[in-house]
Amino acid sequence: MNKKEFLAGLLKDKLGSDFLGQEVSSDHRLFVDIEKEALLPAVKLILEQGGRYQVGISYDDRKNHQSFALIHTLAFDRDGLLVALRAFAPGNNPEFDSITPVVPGAGWSEREYHDLLGLNFKGHPNPKRLVLSDDWPEGIYPLRQDVPHDLMPPSAEEVAFRLEQAPPGTSVIPFGPFHSSLHEPAHFSVYVDGEDIKGCEYRGFMTHRGIEKLGQTELTYNDVPFVAERICGICGSVHSTNYAQAVEAAAGLKIPQRAEFIRVVILELERLHSHLLWLGVAGHLIGFDTVFMQAWRIREKIMWLAESLTGNRKTYGLIIIGGVRRNITKEKAEDIRRVLQEVEKETLTLEKAIIKDKTIHKRTRGVGYLSKEDAIKWNLVGPVARARGLDIDVRRDHPYAAYDELKFDVPVAETGDVWGTLVVRLKEIYEAIKIIRQCLDKLAILPENEPLALELEGPIPAGKQGLSVVEAPRGEAVHYVLTGEENRPERWRVRAPTYPNLQAVPDMLLNNKLADFPIIVGSIDPCISCTDRVMVVELRERRVRIVARQELEKISRKMRLGR
Amino acid sequence: MWLWNKIKQLAISWKSGVVTLRYPFEPRPAPAGFRGQPIWDHTKCIGCAGCANHCPARTIFLRDICQEIRILLYDSSRCTYCGRCADLCPEKAITMGDHYELATENRPDITQTIELFMMTCQRCGRCYDLEIKNSLDKLHTLGYRYDSLEVGKVSRQNTAEFSPDLLEKTKTYERPKQLEK
Repeated sequence: MNKKEFLAGLLKDKLGSDFLGQEVSSDHRLFVDIEKEALLPAVKLILEQGGRYQVGISYDDRKNHQSFALIHTLAFDRDGLLVALRAFAPGNNPEFDSITPVVPGAGWSEREYHDLLGLNFKGHPNPKRLVLSDDWPEGIYPLRQDVPHDLMPPSAEEVAFRLEQAPPGTSVIPFGPFHSSLHEPAHFSVYVDGEDIKGCEYRGFMTHRGIEKLGQTELTYNDVPFVAERICGICGSVHSTNYAQAVEAAAGLKIPQRAEFIRVVILELERLHSHLLWLGVAGHLIGFDTVFMQAWRIREKIMWLAESLTGNRKTYGLIIIGGVRRNITKEKAEDIRRVLQEVEKETLTLEKAIIKDKTIHKRTRGVGYLSKEDAIKWNLVGPVARARGLDIDVRRDHPYAAYDELKFDVPVAETGDVWGTLVVRLKEIYEAIKIIRQCLDKLAILPENEPLALELEGPIPAGKQGLSVVEAPRGEAVHYVLTGEENRPERWRVRAPTYPNLQAVPDMLLNNKLADFPIIVGSIDPCISCTDRVMVVELRERRVRIVARQELEKISRKMRLGR
Repeated sequence: MWLWNKIKQLAISWKSGVVTLRYPFEPRPAPAGFRGQPIWDHTKCIGCAGCANHCPARTIFLRDICQEIRILLYDSSRCTYCGRCADLCPEKAITMGDHYELATENRPDITQTIELFMMTCQRCGRCYDLEIKNSLDKLHTLGYRYDSLEVGKVSRQNTAEFSPDLLEKTKTYERPKQLEK
């Protein structure tokens, strides 16, 4: 009996009449419908079996069932199985039991749906606003279906986000919304006692662009990959591949083998340049600018390579549903090999020059420590988790595209600090190079004129669920697609890797020195725009008076003269 | 040890030298296959609306101002240069150019407008035979189309007969401020 049948049987046994049904799906996915009262016990049951919480997904289903749906997904990394538990709450009283007391990592998902869909969660320890801006009017829930995607309601007045009181004996130091050590807008209010950080509160979600809403209301299936790519400025292809895989899973499509390998090449190229970028940024954050300059110099070669392969440095636009758009020919493969050789050699030289440098060791060892137990508690993913001894990697555990045919190692470190993440990322650079070389060997064998994308036979059936995971450079990204009518998804949910990792940052910061704040936050490689992907309007849309240049000059001169 | 590391780092920096390009003082041509500014060839365009229907950023607009004339407007200010339009064009009327220095103070510099003369078909009111299975068949635009060129809003509404009312409505389109009750 495999794990899927075992879990389905177990849930059926323990939940009894609360178990409503199971959707037919592949061996690696288990979609279960349960009563909403059974959601908390079911999540507990799966956690006892060794599940790792991924994300909550919710959508407005009042059109079909007069209800709101809530899905919790959990992963079994050793069995390659993803479990999705779905429950419905009536449309006039959408209330669920909060699972946050059991799974702290679910806190954000629940707060998000309180904001976006107006769901209530009984027993949530911190039901504050998370996603919506402070001046968004009460009672308008942007992800509901009766709200148009381009709605611009008048802003609520005299409202502000209430930050927590600092604990006694500490003072508050605000980092952000804009800060030189944060490369994207986020607000950390850090409590310090002298130099030591004693706690912190996070207020983010300032770069919402309403991408999920757009995907559900305006765009069509094959438009979404190009918009999904713009969720993140670094790991764009991760999101477009992930979305395409979710739709392909829902529609039961099998893409050509050549397309699978090309997708892997692109994903690994992205990992390469992302890790080199991080190495540079980390060096910069600890004041070691030689690393910054040299890592980015090496990275630039990969950017140029990507430009000649795909037509652009960063937004590759290569993925569509059913395959890819451009081929990697023999000549291009030679280019890739040549660049990879240079990058490998230069990275090795750089590594040898810096890895024993005391500057790095003093600034990263023991900094941002989190134990393995805490890493499990917060459901950390990616290099941040692997630096804490958690041996998880989606590429190996839940193979997608062509990863099941490739051989690679998953580097793990036990130190649990920033140093660990640095070592893991450095080693992954070489693994990525190894993977791309294997792909090129395979591509050389495969017939070159094989079609690159499937021709869709007919419309994609409505009401099917697809769940896909991809190992982004920062960790596991999850996409959920519920297919809909009118040639577009009914629900498309994106969970970027920074979403769980950022929730653990307050714990990582605890009892560290204030000066280490930038590198600790930097160590998770936070991608704020990924995390903030959902909303509709810019934050703090206050009345703005346009000041002409002359006027500005006049004011500043007046100030200088002290008038 | 510390000194030895610093010497190694110095050597790397010395060896690589200055890598910053002299751009913009020296031109940097884009590689082959670069996805730059798309260019419409109006002699090839048949006004099938394939590009407008599949533009992910919704930057291509179509407006039928009367029975015979269809206006195609491409507004590059929101364009993401994905190249979908060039892929899908059945007549290969769109090419992705290699021009990328597109910053301008003057909006018309980056917009392209084509006025297309449409012939009248006795059957559908527009131009092509739909019983033959061709690529136009997949593009789903029949009849008349009214996108808002002023606001840059794609309207998915088509009509079989030309409707001056709808045309007027798109000219005054505004984003909703309140929920409809």
